[in-house]
Formats: sequence, structure tokens, C-alpha cells
Amino acid sequence: MASPAISFGALVTLKELTSTSPHFKEGASLRVTGKLQDYNVETAIAIINDGAATLQVDTQHLKINFRISSIYQFIGELHIDSPEEAVLKARVGRNVDGIDLNLYYQSLKLLQEFQSDQIRKQDA
Amino acid sequence: MENTLINTHVKLLAFDFNTLTPLPSDSSLFSRTASPTPLSRAETLGLITSRDLKPNKFLRFTIDDGTGCISCILWLNHLSSPYFSRRDPADVRRMAEVADALACVVQVGVVARVRGKISLFRGVVQITVTDVGVERDPNAEILHWLQCVKLARKCYDVLPCSSSQVDGNCSGTSITSPVAHKWMDADKLST
Repeated sequence: MASPAISFGALVTLKELTSTSPHFKEGASLRVTGKLQDYNVETAIAIINDGAATLQVDTQHLKINFRISSIYQFIGELHIDSPEEAVLKARVGRNVDGIDLNLYYQSLKLLQEFQSDQIRKQDA
Repeated sequence: MENTLINTHVKLLAFDFNTLTPLPSDSSLFSRTASPTPLSRAETLGLITSRDLKPNKFLRFTIDDGTGCISCILWLNHLSSPYFSRRDPADVRRMAEVADALACVVQVGVVARVRGKISLFRGVVQITVTDVGVERDPNAEILHWLQCVKLARKCYDVLPCSSSQVDGNCSGTSITSPVAHKWMDADKLST
């Protein structure tokens, strides 16, 4: 069966999103989650972090009231200026204060394992 | 026994849902690659990433659950479609009001739980929506992923499927995380 035209945001953690990651590609659709570290009102660029890992997010198309230290989730396309500098152009975003991040990361692993198992079964 | 899931809203992840194929014997029924059990209804939960409204006709929207996108259609043509002409006008008006109210709930950026019939449009499987609810708990999506994994492994992929399994009371889960168990048990208590 064909898939819907809109690309889905692949679930990725900021720690995984390094220049060697398969997700680190120009135009890749990603879903990222992190704590808001900084927000520039003039450029609408938000910087989110997960521990030491950070990512710039262009939020110009979103209508969200940003609060420093709140947790946000964004879906968008990655634009890579250099291996050290990438910006996610967000098309969807939301505040996820109250999310259990440990559970989120554990569930993500389970989900990825399950997906690999199912795809292996389908290919067999 | 193979028909036990026909009237169940099966919880499927988008990557799984998008591989559904219609049965050659009945195009209103679908089956997964992993199991031949016929399915007709589905439930999904995810972020709404697109919304295309044709007033008094339909609302088409997309749900992104992190594994793929599911196309959904909510019909809004109750007052003009001949399909409803033989129904009681009062009932049809009420159905139209409900559909309009659901359409207002569907907004880009919210997390929604969608239930409906599985259908096919231009080669793409979609959900013809009967119910939409906004999820405000930021952990709702995580719980949905865990339920989908558990149900696929313990119910949907297992044949024959008994009615107790369909209700989500499967035992012997292969999910080893104690945190995941905590969430699944909490869900069992709430149902």
C-alpha cells in the first residue's frame, strides 16, 4: 500500500543526532524532544538541550509561548550548514512539560526493537 | 475464531497500519502482513501534522505517531449526501453536529486519539473517522506505543485470538522494562 504524502518525523534523541547518525541528513524529517535553553525572539530560533547535546530549532512557523526550562517537542526538517551546525525547521511543536523522559527514552528503544522485528518478519 | 478482531478498534502503529492490504474476498476487510486475521477498525494516537478542511464536505488530516503518518478523513456532508436521505432528519442533523464538533477538535499540533473504519483511497489506507479525542497528558503517546507493541506481540500476531486477549488482558508480556509494566498495569486498572 502507498503511504500518505507527508513525511513523518522519525523519533530521534538529541544525543543520537550527531554528524555520524543516519538521521543527520539534509532535509531529514525528525521529531526531537528537549529542554528549552534559549530563545531569540527576533530570529525565532530556540535552542533545546538534552544533557550536553543541543539543537537549534527554527520556530518561525509556530505559535507557541516559549518558557525557558520547559520541555518541548518539535517535528520538522533538518537543515545542515556544517557538521557542527544544524537547524531543525519546525512545522509542528508542543510543550510537553510533565513528560517522563526516562520512560520516553526506554519506550523509544522498545519501539525501535519492535519495529526492526516486524520489518524483519515482513521481509522474510 | 479468526474473526474475533473484526469489530475491535485495533491499536496499530502507523508503520504497521500503512502495510494493511484489503482481503480479496471482501474489500471492506484488511489484514496485516504479520497475521491474516481480518480487521475493519483501527485506533491511532499521535500528533496532528496536517489539516485540510472542505466545509460541509470533509476534513482530511494526518496523524504522525513517530513511526509513520496515517491519513484520516472525517465526513462533514451529512446534510447534503444522498447516503443519509433515508435516515431520520433529526438523527442526521445530530450526526452532522457531532461531526462538526469533532472537526473543531482536530488542530495541527495537538495530540489526538482517533478511532474509525479502515478504508482505502487512491491506494492509501486511511481511517474513516468516527471519534476523535484530544490527549493532554504528555505521556499518552508513550503509553499508546507500549500498548501497540504488547497487543501486536501477544494478541494480533497470535492465532487464534481469544476474546480475553482482544480486551488487552494478555499475560506473559515480553516487555522487560519495569517502568513499562507500571504504565501498562495502570492502564489495565483504568479500563
